Amino acid sequence: MFDEIDPRSPTPLYDQIASRVRVAVASGDFRPGESLPSVRGLATRLRVNPATVVQAYRALEQEGFVEMRQGAGTYVREVAEERRGRERDEQALRMVRDLLADAARFGIGADAIASALRQELRSEAP
Amino acid sequence: MSNAIETRDLVYRAGTTFEITDLALNVPTGSIYGFLGPNGSGKTTTIRLLLGLLRPVRGRIQVVGRQVPREAHLMLARTGYVPERPHLYPTLTIDEAMRFHAAFYPTWDTKWADELLVTFRLDRSRRVGKMSKGETGKFMMLLALAQRPELLILDEPTDGLDPVVRREVLMALIEYVAERQATVFISSHLVHELERFCNWVGVLDNGRLVAELPMHAFKNGIKRLRVHHPPSTPGDTPFVLLSREAGDGLSAGEVWVVRGWQATMSQYFDGIGAQLREVVDLDLEEGFVEMLRTFRHPVEVHS
Repeated sequence: MFDEIDPRSPTPLYDQIASRVRVAVASGDFRPGESLPSVRGLATRLRVNPATVVQAYRALEQEGFVEMRQGAGTYVREVAEERRGRERDEQALRMVRDLLADAARFGIGADAIASALRQELRSEAP
Repeated sequence: MSNAIETRDLVYRAGTTFEITDLALNVPTGSIYGFLGPNGSGKTTTIRLLLGLLRPVRGRIQVVGRQVPREAHLMLARTGYVPERPHLYPTLTIDEAMRFHAAFYPTWDTKWADELLVTFRLDRSRRVGKMSKGETGKFMMLLALAQRPELLILDEPTDGLDPVVRREVLMALIEYVAERQATVFISSHLVHELERFCNWVGVLDNGRLVAELPMHAFKNGIKRLRVHHPPSTPGDTPFVLLSREAGDGLSAGEVWVVRGWQATMSQYFDGIGAQLREVVDLDLEEGFVEMLRTFRHPVEVHS
């Protein structure tokens, strides 16, 4: 879940890591009480600065997604369903914004994207 | 915040052509500091000055609170160094080389050195002179880490290593930093490699420090803009215009590279009758290249 972070992206690395956790909590992949990887473990695996992982976990703690227990690790908190729903909506919005920005770069208008999306959704329907 | 490495007015000359000029480095304690510069810019010379291996013409050098070169021996006991070219006795075995190195460092961690041998899949009975380039790279990092230093000075530690070995070496380094909160001063021309984990950047060119700033500031500061219908003279810009070139043929208009960009500055283009089509964030490598280019030719604006 953390493997596709992109150091060359303009989105700061700590934000990318925090964002992965938010989505996992929102979708229920991370359950309340579950522990996040240790700072040392995740920093080593991703080859990022340990301070970056700490910054991500602190941001998540301030937002109420996790709880950092001194010396014992970082745990997912109980997050209300409507908050999780809101997080899913926000994530969807972010993805659409990125898509539209990409499209604009190639000179593809919003109409073309909207119709492609409708077509794709129709073909996906059972 | 204190600095693990600090230099002031540092001057060094080698022959008549090369000079380190008024170098003022500030490496914050606990940072991972990427020391960037093209080949021949003076990175290795600077590192050798920091370690007391070269004598400056003048200036002050302080490393882990010690004056260099006067107190270099006290500094070296707390500093791990991976040189650009390894200095090992080729006839020793890995085990002998390790014990030889350990004798200089009271903080040497035998248990961890043994664990690193396993992690790096190094055979302790192998002759140092027979090691492959990858094995040598891993062994040099092992020697620096197992002395449990508070500061690591790494001179192109992954230069010439394949991606798999590079990853192993960097993972061991980061694991140590996470555990020990050590400071790392790492020189490299593999810019993208530093982008993942450095939180400070210093850029050296021709013996001069071009820039020294936190990584996020470095990456946010410089943008590439695609501008349609630009005026022939840009007038007063709210940002610093570093360069201006015709588009690449695929896209119309011009490509501007600017420093000090903020989103509200897009209004400037309405005022001059131009259209701002795109704002591209530059990654570390592109930012580095643009920074050097404009440092070398400060007033050059192509049209």
